[in-house]
Amino acid sequence: MANYFNTLPLREQLAQLAQCRFMHTAEFADGVEALKGKKMVVIGCGAQGLNQGLNLRDSGLDVSYALRPEAIEQKRQSWKNASENGFVVGTYEELIPTADVVLNLTPDKQHTSVVNTVMPLMKEGACLSYSHGFNIVEEGMKIRDDLTVIMVAPKCPGSEVRAEYVRGFGVPTLIAVHEDNDPKGEGLALAKAYAVGTGGHKAGVLMSSFIAEVKSDLMGEQTILCGMLQTGSLLCFDKMIEEGIDPGYASRLIQYGWETVTEALKYGGVTNMLDRLSNPAKIKAFDLSEELKDIMRPLYNKHQDDIMSGHFSKTMMEDWANDDANLLKWRAETAETNFEKTPAGDVEISEQEFFDNGILMVAMVKAGVELAFETMTAAGIIAESAYYESLHETPLIANTIARKKLYEMNATISDTAEYGCYLYNHACVPLLAGFMKGIKSDVIGKGLSLDDNGVDNARLIEVNTALRSHPVEAVGSVLRGYMADMKKIV
Amino acid sequence: MDSLTRLDNIRLSKATVSFEDRFTLSEIDWTITPEQHWVITGPNGAGKSALAAALAGIGDIQSGSIQGLPNNVEIVSFEAQAELIAQELKKDDADIMDVISLGTPVSEMIFDHCQEAELAQALVEKFGLSKLLERAFRKLSTGETRKVMLIRALANKPDLLILDEPFDGLDVDTLAMLQAHLASLIDTVPMVMVLNRFDEMPDFITHVAYLDKEREDKERGDKQSGDIGRLKLTVDRQDDTAFNELYQLLHLKTTDLSVPEADPTNKLPALDPSQPLVKLTQATIQYGDTVIVDKLDWTIERGQHWQLSGPNGSGKTCVLSLITGDHPQCYTNDIFVFGFQRGNGESIWQIKQFIGYVSTNLQWEYRVSTSCKNVIISGFYDSIGMYTKSTDSQKKIADQWLELLGMQDRADQPFNKLSYGDQRLLLIARAMVKHPPLLILDEPCLGLDDINRQLVLALIEKICQGSETTVLYVNHHAEDQITGIEHYLGLEKNH
Repeated sequence: MANYFNTLPLREQLAQLAQCRFMHTAEFADGVEALKGKKMVVIGCGAQGLNQGLNLRDSGLDVSYALRPEAIEQKRQSWKNASENGFVVGTYEELIPTADVVLNLTPDKQHTSVVNTVMPLMKEGACLSYSHGFNIVEEGMKIRDDLTVIMVAPKCPGSEVRAEYVRGFGVPTLIAVHEDNDPKGEGLALAKAYAVGTGGHKAGVLMSSFIAEVKSDLMGEQTILCGMLQTGSLLCFDKMIEEGIDPGYASRLIQYGWETVTEALKYGGVTNMLDRLSNPAKIKAFDLSEELKDIMRPLYNKHQDDIMSGHFSKTMMEDWANDDANLLKWRAETAETNFEKTPAGDVEISEQEFFDNGILMVAMVKAGVELAFETMTAAGIIAESAYYESLHETPLIANTIARKKLYEMNATISDTAEYGCYLYNHACVPLLAGFMKGIKSDVIGKGLSLDDNGVDNARLIEVNTALRSHPVEAVGSVLRGYMADMKKIV
Repeated sequence: MDSLTRLDNIRLSKATVSFEDRFTLSEIDWTITPEQHWVITGPNGAGKSALAAALAGIGDIQSGSIQGLPNNVEIVSFEAQAELIAQELKKDDADIMDVISLGTPVSEMIFDHCQEAELAQALVEKFGLSKLLERAFRKLSTGETRKVMLIRALANKPDLLILDEPFDGLDVDTLAMLQAHLASLIDTVPMVMVLNRFDEMPDFITHVAYLDKEREDKERGDKQSGDIGRLKLTVDRQDDTAFNELYQLLHLKTTDLSVPEADPTNKLPALDPSQPLVKLTQATIQYGDTVIVDKLDWTIERGQHWQLSGPNGSGKTCVLSLITGDHPQCYTNDIFVFGFQRGNGESIWQIKQFIGYVSTNLQWEYRVSTSCKNVIISGFYDSIGMYTKSTDSQKKIADQWLELLGMQDRADQPFNKLSYGDQRLLLIARAMVKHPPLLILDEPCLGLDDINRQLVLALIEKICQGSETTVLYVNHHAEDQITGIEHYLGLEKNH
């Protein structure tokens, strides 16, 4: 199999990367009609598989689960998940031939083997659905011509997909149709109905392409979303210890700090996040982030280049073939870091204190979000995609760190994201070594503690203008506006 | 000066006091210490005046005891006022001499009654009765007789002063004067007042007693007849939260407002009246080898109110979730709900539109930051939080509910900042806002303190009055009965 993206001419690559559109509610007026009475068979009964299936069934659709025979015979967790929830469970041979839609909700690294097994069993003209385009775009999986291939990707962990549905809502969802596999032209109708079935249409649906999804998703997750937060956690913690801050306090400031500062990001973008600081602290954070951006820009470029060229996926797939040797080693190393091993102390930190004492963390988030956005759009990814895969998802990942630190983050995200995160971290920690030498507890741990909060007018205006005029803020305010219309409670 | 230490605690122990077969105060436990000043409050007919009267030695003690009452007790009440006037009129009738009786003059009514003439004189002036001293008592207006009563009571320097609605019918100046005078007595005499309105409560009041009427219970059949009043709660005024809740409870108990109508602009689909609302056939819930619910047959007809009970772990909530569609095994059971045989392509939202639901679990899950008003409106959408724009009609109905709950000033406050009890009230309003055919109250009082339990029960009672909704009630507390439930399903622990 060859990297699909690399087989396309530049013109087609750019056209595919530029796809991303926020869909209007009226486009979902047909509800689940396109899937009504059709047989949907889910492969994989993990968090996404089970929870999407529960939602689809509660939306009136016919859902069953195909599992490998050994999972059924040994009553593995996937079998328990499906059968205790009252679903019909069967082998691939039993269920796939009856399926109108096959939902491939297995982890990326199983896709090739799963699709190779399933495809010959699928009936003529059926639909194969993915929730991530890696297999098609990076691995170049070729799907039978008569099959329709779509992607429906809820942009949240499976548990949230279910919880939001039960509340009467949904999670933002990305849909796409693989243009090479839309023989009957029904791909979009099926993808829309599927998004309605999981509740996604209530939270906002982005119409994208397989390529835009993969290239932006990979970039976002390994740089700002996971990589930057991991590197930032480790560096900030070690610096605070070096500066004599109580380890329990330092651990808490970081574990819950990302969540708190990115909550402000979620509501009002980078601008609002920095507006939460005092004027002198804001200027300080701005200056730090400019410095960080200069230092890290080559790294962001490298990640984007490796993703576009297919180098990243190639090396990762080599690790898959090597029994995940690197991934497992790096995972173990993360567990041994000082931050990970120091429990959060039993101290009260007020919401504002996370900002005041975490100026460097704010600067890191700003630098990471803007760099990722700039790099993606420079590589031909449309601003909407770049926004979602950088700024929009940062609070979601920050929430996982608040739950159980880096371990939880890396356990929740995909193996692909985790692998990319470690790559980033290994490069970024040494890259920032010199920068960190100049850092003191005034920007991480203690706050500025100035007698006078005065600032120079001209400088403040400069900083505010720079913040507010960044392109991620422009597209962000439009998209957040759409979202707010749909979801009063952000 | 008078020291309160001369006085004993007044202690009512399981005191059951009857008043001429018309009314009974049942098993009152209450202690008044000399430095306390109480207000007795409660809905009409709860026995507020009766309790005040009992402290004045009126009524027959059937059982229990009242101890520590001082000898010198003064009571000012409409009953006492009426009695005094009746006595005067009787004197008139009794006059056998052929002389037109002028009746007892006010001066005699006042000065003969009390020993402290100087104090009485001062009070007469304070109350502005100087010019009326020579007038016949029975010629006075109601307000004037009330003033005479008050002067008599105050000038007598009682050891317990009982004032039943003392501020009713007084003009503004007199009211302020009286309040000030009473305030000057707080270190000399304990006071007990009956007040219907909280806003009249003087600042020196330290405690509030809340009475409520017992629901008429035909099966009681013992010697107690007529209405029964019970002391439900006592609240220390220092406790702001409890005090406010009591205020709300009184509002809910006494308001003329009824439950707001359903939304006329968006009616629920009509149900076939010949079909039951719910029919479970051999319903079974099982996890692995553990059977939680075993072959349960249950039909709920329209208008049949049910109570579901059973020990913890007997599967009550599981059974409910089969009905609401929240249990995944509802697809493997034979379930007929609101015209749908489950598992035939219906969505859970088609089921949920017919159900109003309240449980502790719902409250835990309702953790979104939204306004109180939106919480009520979300009942129209069966959602936790609001994700669509509400209509004007829905907003209007939500406002009416807030008014009923006495929470209109909190319409825009965040729900998650409310007290636990207030949240529960709002969630009950949310469940009922669309007037669902089936209202499921899963242990609606669980986790609530006394006063909030009273509040919730008051609201549920209000909802059940004249509503078309069928109620399914799950509860452990035997005392938290809801009127009108005649069908019972008891579940047992299977595992």
